[in-house]
Amino acid sequence: MAAPHTAAVPHLDALGPRGPYRTLAPEPVTDVTGTEVARLSLVPPVYVDRAMAALRRAAPPSPDRIDGRLAAAAESFASGTVGGLGVGAYEDLVSRTSGTPLRVVRAATRDTARFVARARTSADQGRPRGTAAGLWGAAPRAVWARRGEVFAVNASGNHPGVHRLWLEALALGYRVAVRPSRREPFTPHRLVGALRQAGVGEDQVVLLPTDHRAADTLVHGADRSVVYGGDDVVARYAHDPRVLPQGPGRSKILVTADTDWRAHLDTLVASVADEGGTACVNATAILVEGDPAPLAAAVADRLAALPSLPPRDERAVLPVAPLERARALGSHLTKVAAGTRAWLGGDGVVDDLGDGSAVLRPAVHQVDSARAGQLRAELPFPCVWVAPWSRSDGIAPLRDSLVLSALTRDGALLDALLAEPTVANLYIGDHPTYWMAPGVPHDSYLSDFLMRSKAVIGAR
Amino acid sequence: MPYDPGTVLDAGPSAGADPDAFVRAAVAWHFDPATGSRFWLDRAARLGFDPRQDVKGVADLALFPDLTHELRTVPAADLVPRGYGDRAGLLNVFDSGGTTGDPKRVVQLADWMRHSTEQVARGLRAHGLPAGAPWLSVAPTGPHLVGDVLTRAAASLGGPALGVDMDPRWVRKLAAAGRTDEVAAYTDHLVDQCRRVLVSQDVRVLAATTPLLERLAREDDLLDVINSKVEAIVWGGTHMDPDTRFLLSTEVFPDVPLIGMYGNTMMLTGLIERVGSSASDPCVFDPVSPSVFLSVVDPGTGAPVPSGARGQVVVSHVSRSMFIPNNAERDTALRVAPAAGQVGDAVADVAPMATVAGTTVIEGVY
Repeated sequence: MAAPHTAAVPHLDALGPRGPYRTLAPEPVTDVTGTEVARLSLVPPVYVDRAMAALRRAAPPSPDRIDGRLAAAAESFASGTVGGLGVGAYEDLVSRTSGTPLRVVRAATRDTARFVARARTSADQGRPRGTAAGLWGAAPRAVWARRGEVFAVNASGNHPGVHRLWLEALALGYRVAVRPSRREPFTPHRLVGALRQAGVGEDQVVLLPTDHRAADTLVHGADRSVVYGGDDVVARYAHDPRVLPQGPGRSKILVTADTDWRAHLDTLVASVADEGGTACVNATAILVEGDPAPLAAAVADRLAALPSLPPRDERAVLPVAPLERARALGSHLTKVAAGTRAWLGGDGVVDDLGDGSAVLRPAVHQVDSARAGQLRAELPFPCVWVAPWSRSDGIAPLRDSLVLSALTRDGALLDALLAEPTVANLYIGDHPTYWMAPGVPHDSYLSDFLMRSKAVIGAR
Repeated sequence: MPYDPGTVLDAGPSAGADPDAFVRAAVAWHFDPATGSRFWLDRAARLGFDPRQDVKGVADLALFPDLTHELRTVPAADLVPRGYGDRAGLLNVFDSGGTTGDPKRVVQLADWMRHSTEQVARGLRAHGLPAGAPWLSVAPTGPHLVGDVLTRAAASLGGPALGVDMDPRWVRKLAAAGRTDEVAAYTDHLVDQCRRVLVSQDVRVLAATTPLLERLAREDDLLDVINSKVEAIVWGGTHMDPDTRFLLSTEVFPDVPLIGMYGNTMMLTGLIERVGSSASDPCVFDPVSPSVFLSVVDPGTGAPVPSGARGQVVVSHVSRSMFIPNNAERDTALRVAPAAGQVGDAVADVAPMATVAGTTVIEGVY
């Protein structure tokens, strides 16, 4: 029942309001081959409850010091030693447990540090222009105020970049609890550790690894929560105004007849496969006005050339998973793809590395209609559905997109896409779907969910 | 063999009866056409062995198949050994929790109730529980065994048990349907009832399930009340993981001893935690010779796991009133040597069986 005993693997303690906390029997964290690489302390619900109560009693992070602290935390996250791990050891652990290619992890470290350093200014981008950030200076008439005190994030482990968002909550004065993914707890552990080294209080930001049963306790104890998951999670929290679910991104690319896709092939391929294809901003579908076959063939041709390598290989670009999970994903794809034309991956996407893990190779399938159900099938590896699109389809097939990249010169169509409420982000022209930057909204500004504008008449 | 009270089969758990002789007497009683229950007499032919010939002692309980799934449908009256005649004293029909399908049913007869209550009370006295102290018992009653065990234990120690009832099946149903708001509302309702009792009554023993204790930990005012006037907390009815036990003992209820009770319906009683362990030691439960035997086995092979290893808990209940051999519970535990005078295994750190991880794919990258 237990994983083989390994000497001296790092311990990831819970980072509670009174310091690190190690449980009586920390759980093994295994890499994609099943080797134990760390021990994670999963705290029970009663610990979560008490930690959330401590956050609620704590003062907000000091606004005049937060920029300096975020900058210092960004610096130690990117290059320091945090929780006994140097950055190289940290990146190695992330790569081997999540199966994310090492070079993707390294790039993510640098990007995350940038987001951390700028978290307050990024958050401030979402402040309505009629409000002031606080009660100082001339009578402001309106102040941007928090909707609550305690923020929780129930995070995922698909990509280290998931942890860029919640720093804004801290910058806005929330006290923050992070529940890490059990598969990849290293990134939030390092971030919370870096923030504490930089002077953020132990009762202002906590890391609470838990099993599933305590996840509800976390959300219950917070005023506002972000919860990552599938459609089930989105449905479950759809009517809870205190929870912002982050579900499948279903990012898409549209190419209309007035634009030659051949000039944008690099961007199309990158949108599908960069970042290992594991991000919510990777393209799930490409819709093309005209015959989709040549585009599908060209994308398939490029993706077929990507090598199958273990994630820690410097040249690796494709994601790796434990063999059993890879097989489950592979057979799910086979089932979903029934009736479509496979350009790549039709014979299976699982490439067994022989060490207990397998590469998830890219898949390109052509469907016969813009309304095919497959266009919603987002999977955690480079997997794209290519569909024909015509004016008569309208924008319905483009709905429900975290990012829609539109390669078109049709202004009226762009206006319609801009007006479409279920398209969260619209990238016009040659921009990969995964493009992100501090201060640019990801799924609207997080502050839309965290803050309100409050009239304040009279001076302090 | 007519009903002849006073034989070895009427020995209570503290009488020091020889367990092998007790098991032989029990099998003789339950499989004698004149005295056995209809349930066992109907099934004797299917066993493939003759219990009255082949069962020489405790070890031979392993010969029996686990037939507890048949307790879902059998009429309760068929469970009463006919040898009692009209002196059975049928007090209760209890249901198992029904986590895995329809509930299984057992009967509690008056003689076993006395033995069970006596051994529970003895276990609690060993922990220094006050005599004559009022209890608050927050546990499922009615068809559920645990509430009955606690209420009778309180009475046996001379304390009236004030009660707050609960319906765990409804809560499980709400939780399974994802209706977490309603679960929370129901739990709040339980806490409100507890608050009234705790504030107005001189409660000195609190008996509650693990989730309820976890929930009470959120109520600062009640923690003050409990830590100042309650002298012991008895937890049971569900599992408690070692970290929760440690935190409840050291941080939430630092001034009140926490005493575990492990039981299940097919065991027909509760086992009280072994005395003398600290908050970070494993929580050990000893069997109760000659009526409750435990073994810890590999769920795949049924073979005993090595001492100290985790395996599935198999329980046998042997008494004049019922015979439930070899019941594989949905619990796992560490296998531990039993206390002196006990046979078989003791169990420590009881936990639920891990559910088999499905290979269903939920779409999306998270």
